[in-house]
Amino acid sequence: MSEEPKVGVFVCHCGMNIAGTINVKEVIEYSMTLPHVVDAKEYIFMCSAPGQDLIKDSVKKSGLNRVVVAACSPSMHEPTFRRAVEEAGLNRYLLEMVNIREQSSWVHSDEKQKATEKTKDLIRMAVAKASLLEPLEDLRFGVQPASLILGGGVAGLRASLDLAERGYKVHLVEELPTLGGRAARLGKLAHVDMKGAEMVGSLIKAVVSNPNVTAHVNSEVTELDGSVGYFKANIKYKPRFVDAKCTLCGECFRVCPVEVPNEYEFGISKRRAIYLPFKEAYPPVAVIDSETCTRCGECVKVCEPHAIDLDEKGHDLEAIAGGVVLATGFSPYEPPEGEYGYGHSKKVLTLFQLERLLDEDGPTGGELKLEGSTPRTLAFIMCVGSLGTTKNAHQYCSRMCCASALKNILTIKDRYPEVEIYTIYKDMRTYGRGDERLYERAAERLVKFIMFEAPPTVNVKSDNLEVRVHDATLQEDLLIPADAVVLAVGMSPSQSLPKVRSVVKVGCSAEGFLREAHLKLRPVEAPADGIYLAGSVTSPKNIVESVMAGSASAAKAAALFGKEEIRIEPMIAQVTEEICSGCAICIAMCPYGAISRKQKDEKRVAEVDKALCKACGACVAACPSGAMQQAGFKDIQMMAQIAALTEKRGA
Amino acid sequence: MDKPKIAMYWCASCGGCEEATVDIAERVLDLVNLVDIVLWPVALDFKEEDIEKLPDGSITASLINGGVRVSDHEHMVKLLRKKSKIIVAYGACSAWGGIPSLSNLYSEGEFTSRAYHEVPTVDNPRGVVPQKSVTIDGVELKLPEILPRLLPIDRVIDVDYYVPGCPPTADVTWKAVTTLLSGKVPPKGSVIGASEKALCDECPLNETKPDKVLVQDLKRPHEVIPDGEKCLLTQGLLCMGPATRGGCTALCVKARMPCTGCFGPLDRVTDYGAKAASFIASIVDFQDEESIGKVIDKLPDPVGTFYRYTLGASTLGGRIRRNKA
Amino acid sequence: MSDQFEPKIALFACNWCTYAALDLAGTSRMKYPPNFRVIKVMCSGRIDPQFVVEAFRDGADGVLVAGCHLGDCHYIEGNYKALRRMTLLRKMLDTMGIERERLRLEWISASEAARFVQIAREMVEQIKPLGPLAPRLQVNQ
Repeated sequence: MSEEPKVGVFVCHCGMNIAGTINVKEVIEYSMTLPHVVDAKEYIFMCSAPGQDLIKDSVKKSGLNRVVVAACSPSMHEPTFRRAVEEAGLNRYLLEMVNIREQSSWVHSDEKQKATEKTKDLIRMAVAKASLLEPLEDLRFGVQPASLILGGGVAGLRASLDLAERGYKVHLVEELPTLGGRAARLGKLAHVDMKGAEMVGSLIKAVVSNPNVTAHVNSEVTELDGSVGYFKANIKYKPRFVDAKCTLCGECFRVCPVEVPNEYEFGISKRRAIYLPFKEAYPPVAVIDSETCTRCGECVKVCEPHAIDLDEKGHDLEAIAGGVVLATGFSPYEPPEGEYGYGHSKKVLTLFQLERLLDEDGPTGGELKLEGSTPRTLAFIMCVGSLGTTKNAHQYCSRMCCASALKNILTIKDRYPEVEIYTIYKDMRTYGRGDERLYERAAERLVKFIMFEAPPTVNVKSDNLEVRVHDATLQEDLLIPADAVVLAVGMSPSQSLPKVRSVVKVGCSAEGFLREAHLKLRPVEAPADGIYLAGSVTSPKNIVESVMAGSASAAKAAALFGKEEIRIEPMIAQVTEEICSGCAICIAMCPYGAISRKQKDEKRVAEVDKALCKACGACVAACPSGAMQQAGFKDIQMMAQIAALTEKRGA
Repeated sequence: MDKPKIAMYWCASCGGCEEATVDIAERVLDLVNLVDIVLWPVALDFKEEDIEKLPDGSITASLINGGVRVSDHEHMVKLLRKKSKIIVAYGACSAWGGIPSLSNLYSEGEFTSRAYHEVPTVDNPRGVVPQKSVTIDGVELKLPEILPRLLPIDRVIDVDYYVPGCPPTADVTWKAVTTLLSGKVPPKGSVIGASEKALCDECPLNETKPDKVLVQDLKRPHEVIPDGEKCLLTQGLLCMGPATRGGCTALCVKARMPCTGCFGPLDRVTDYGAKAASFIASIVDFQDEESIGKVIDKLPDPVGTFYRYTLGASTLGGRIRRNKA
Repeated sequence: MSDQFEPKIALFACNWCTYAALDLAGTSRMKYPPNFRVIKVMCSGRIDPQFVVEAFRDGADGVLVAGCHLGDCHYIEGNYKALRRMTLLRKMLDTMGIERERLRLEWISASEAARFVQIAREMVEQIKPLGPLAPRLQVNQ
């Protein structure tokens, strides 16, 4: 800064709020004795129009180039005074505010002299800092009014539809060969008279028929560059080997020699290497699983419309978006082999598998048959993988399993009234709308509820499964000779997360899900601007909650797209390349991944991405050489403020 | 025209800086041809009176190494300031106090007692300690006063330039001397002869760092045989490289010893020890008090580690006086 | 150690939590000792140990470093860095003779005005018997 600082100090009375405690005259007189201060004025309400005019006049008349306003909290009127300063012809960041209302007069009204002394100290410190302030320009970024959405489950679909209906372009990317996600594999839903695939199907139909949506199914985002307002994604389309000419005649399924467990039936039945994921799959086109296909060519021979091309290659596509929604869902908890007999008997199954058995479109046509027979005694073990029940279990509750299990229990009771059902739980959390009624109805149907503290054990015998549990209510050991055991498995963070996180910079919570900006106040935003989180990707959720999150994230993204330009406060980190040794200490300090090393004249220096830096200053404090500084909070500015703590150093 | 006069003086010094000066080897012959040395106690027999007789400001440059520990040092540096145009603080001790300034953690009584009584190899059955004065045959002989703290010379006199290092390397010394004699001198108060950037800029291992430099353990040099192909900091060693001015060509690191910080801070840093502690603490990759504490507790002497060469110039200067209450 | 000694305490307050708590104390008209001088930073992660030693040298008898609760940092992890740095700094200040009561690290959320008041009163009472720091600093200008 080449010019001599000329500081004006403006002290507000705020009616009696400040003046009632603080001796403003004394403060004004004192301010005039401070270095660089050329004018000091007081006014009854500095934020008012005449108050602001007072500041502007003083700037002109006294040639001020720095302004200190001692008044209420900056959280109230900093924008007001910044504007005033700007209207006076100065850069809006040449203003320093001193909080002498909330943080002085209001809290020391019983010690007027001390409050006045404190005020003088604070103004002295502010003047010292203000003298070193530099003009700064807001950062401006244009916004691309388009969204990239990862994940074609209910949350992603809802977000896509909401945004598309508002007129924004949507790139919906789904890694599986079909849209629909987990909800599409549920049987009849609770409280809603529809199957999962039906309900999701209606959503899919609306989404894909909206001209604003481009659905990239069987695709993955492999690269994501840029930041809020402008993201550039590389979408890799994986070949299906079958094109839209497919009529789903099913001839190819008949002749394919390969049989593998069907992941869409959670392994309880098989599919071929060429297959349709499920009846309502979208797109309604067969797909070849390249990992199991032997390329024997039998399917090609029988395909009348010649829709199969075994040599189809994938391709890459670029998509531009202003914001990204991550809706990549969850993975069902997979019990380790032997946990509750899982993997040791075909009669120990998960709730997801049970859903498939009870679905009329499932592998048994809706019949509850395991190894050819219907179980007479069924034990449901709840909280599997949740509530810290077993060594591998998560500590959290997975939310949706109680209602989900009870829904299935009632379905079984409807179809097979004689089946005896035991529900063994650590806790029963039917919290959602209508869910408590499921529990009541189950109890009315004489389903037995047994609470445990220590988890039950399942002993696989030749003719049945011995379930032993210590009933915590009765304080008695029980032995249940069950014909089948259903494990209500919880929700684990999606197995695709490491892949997602290698592409998009989002942090994880302690439980391994993606972490939101603020659990309560900003639940659908990632800490980094422009990235939104919808559905079970952040924590266990039921369908209602996931859909809500989808809509919420769409609203957030829409708010972003509605702006033509975003302005960001410029108090960001800056590197002085002449001093930076490229030591890289700063890089790990940034939670937003805003810093990287770049080549400069055969050496390396740090580089801050202005769009990603959120101005926290963590890198600045860590920078061992002082090369990294924070605009508006530079070391010399902070040190000057500190040095003015007492009078003797203030001069 | 007379050759420019040069003085070289040592205060509380180990003698390493004198050796460093001589280390410029054959170049010293060029140097002595260019200048007129008027004071160099280690090598030449000039006395204080010779300096007093010189007109004020007639010495072109005085290179002072060693910190101000006793009243005699204070007197000499003030005298040299009066008689010199330029004062150069040569070496870590005169610039920042150096290793001897770690004595600022102790009172005179404590370190005298340590030196003369407590050190296991000292044999002092009569408990002799140095006296400040003694009278022999009616003549009083006095030793200089020990000052309350060891000070960098710029706390006593105005200093024009600083040459960093413990000691400065031969190349840094030569570069500093030729800069001074060239007439194209940088602004007053500058560090000369060395780099404007931290050591990592010239360290061959900087390239090997991963994107994120984080450690889960801090190791002392005797605890690990370092891999010479990987940044020592990433191996858990306390390498001060990132916080230390470069210019030495990373000699220690090339010998697989982590940098200890002898070239001192970069220009924008006001307290080397606090800054070094800040960056080391920052890269300890734990989030809970207990784990953080465990790692930090592994450092037996953080003040000695982070302020090894700079305690004298630090913000607090050393241990503050005990509370009398 | 006169009973007139009023410690001056530098308070490094993070914008989102501690500063907001201080404002809340104001709007609630709570009363606390007038010994604190606030230096606002956006995040406790900005607080450089150099600031702390500088504050002690420049007349602070105590330093309070305050930010958001661990896990709640507005900038995700800044307060963890503050924790690490202050842990090491405190160990160094022990060796330099600065009593533990003079440097305090606290996590104060935006709603915890009452807690701040309690901490403030406590800190002032704990530092008073220690006396002023300045006369014990042997620093040549």
